[in-house]
Amino acid sequence: MQKSLYITSNGRLRRHENTLYFEMGDEKKAIDIENVEQIHIFGEVDLNTKALNYISQYGIVLHFYNYYGFYTGSFLPRKKNVSGDVVVRQALHYLDREKRIFLAYCFVESAVYHMMRNLRERKEAEDFLVAIENEWERGRFNISNITELMGLEGRIRNIYYQSFNQFLPEDFSMEKREKRPPTNPINALISFGNSLIYSHTLSQIYQTQLDPSISFLHEPSEKRFSLSLDISEIFKPLIVDTVIFKLLNNHQLKLEHFDEDLNYCYLNQEGKKIFLKEFQNKLETTVRHRQLNRNVSYKGFIRLECYKLIKHFIGDQVYSPLKAWW
Amino acid sequence: MFVIVTYDINEKRVNKVRKILKKYFTWVQNSVFEGEITLGKLEKCKRELLSVIEKDEDSVYFYEMEYKLVCNKKILGQEKNYDSVII
Repeated sequence: MQKSLYITSNGRLRRHENTLYFEMGDEKKAIDIENVEQIHIFGEVDLNTKALNYISQYGIVLHFYNYYGFYTGSFLPRKKNVSGDVVVRQALHYLDREKRIFLAYCFVESAVYHMMRNLRERKEAEDFLVAIENEWERGRFNISNITELMGLEGRIRNIYYQSFNQFLPEDFSMEKREKRPPTNPINALISFGNSLIYSHTLSQIYQTQLDPSISFLHEPSEKRFSLSLDISEIFKPLIVDTVIFKLLNNHQLKLEHFDEDLNYCYLNQEGKKIFLKEFQNKLETTVRHRQLNRNVSYKGFIRLECYKLIKHFIGDQVYSPLKAWW
Repeated sequence: MFVIVTYDINEKRVNKVRKILKKYFTWVQNSVFEGEITLGKLEKCKRELLSVIEKDEDSVYFYEMEYKLVCNKKILGQEKNYDSVII
C-alpha cells in the first residue's frame, strides 16, 4: 500500500541521489519515494522547487498544517486523472435541487448512522442514543432544503458530543464543541482529527476524476475544497472519533500532551505523534468487503466513496453511502 | 508484499544500484534493503537494476514474502527504526 508520511520535526526536504531526503541537522533520513502517496507536514520544513518538481513527478500530494495543527493548504501536482465529462455531470447534480438534496441527505444519513454506531456499544450513552434516534426520525422526513438538513445535522452532532462526557475520562470532559480556537483538550483532539481526515479525503479525491470544489452538503462557494468536507462527514465518526475514544480510554493521551493557555488548547508535538500513529493504524486497518470480496482498508473506503459518487454522476448506479456493517 | 534485498556488486557500479534501491525500499544495513512494495513496483525496480548491473559479475538477491508477518523478523542489538511513517 502507498504510505502516508507525517513530518512533525523541523528540517529540510531535499532531492538527493534521485530520491527524497529529510534532513534534521546532522541526521538524514532517506524516504522511499516510490511508495509514498502523500506527505503531511506539521513541523517547520524547508523545501525548494527542485524537491517540489521531483515530488510532482510521482504525483505525491503535500499537505501543510500550521503550528497548531490546523490545515493550511495542499500542494497538488498537475492532475493526471481529469475527465471533463465527469465534472460536468457532477455540476449538473449540484444544479438540480432534488438531486443535490439527495446527495446531501446521503452524507448526513451515513454520518448519523456512524455516530449511532459509536454510541451503541456504550451503556452509559444509551439516553443520548435514544435522543439522537428521536431527533433523526422526527427530522429526516421534513427536509425541504439544505439549510434545514444542516440544522438537523448540527442538532444531532450536539447531542452526540454531549454524550462524550459519559464515557470519556473526567479530565477530558467537554461542555460544548468549540473551534477556532479549541479551548479544551477534547475539542483540540476533534479539531486536529477533523483537519487530518479532511486532507486525507482530499488526497483520495485527487486520485479520482472528481472535482473537489463542487460539493452538495456544504456550499461550493466556501473557497475551499468542499467536496472533501462532504465526504469527510461520513468518516469523522468512523475514524476520528474512534481513535479519540481509544487513545483517551486507554490513557495513552494524557493532559500533559496538551499545551494550554488562557483561551486555547492544542496538542503538543509528543501528543501529535501519538495521535498520528494511532490514526495511521486505523487508516490501514482492513475489513473484508462483501461485494468486492477482498480486504479494504479504511483509507480504501474513502476512495471507494469517490468511485461510488462517480458511478452515481454518470448514471451507472445510484449512490448509497457507506454504512459500516462490521 | 514484503521484500528483503541484498546485493553484492562491483565497486564501480555499487552506488548506482544503491541509488535505485533507495527509491523503493528502506535501507536497513550495509547492502541490505527491505520494505513493502507492490508487484508492479517491484518489477519496475528489477528492470531498472538490470540496466545497470553486469550479469556475469554482480548479484542481487530478492527474498519475496507475500505478507510482512510471514517474515517473523527478530533483532539482536540495535534496531534502526528507519521505516516509521512519522518523522
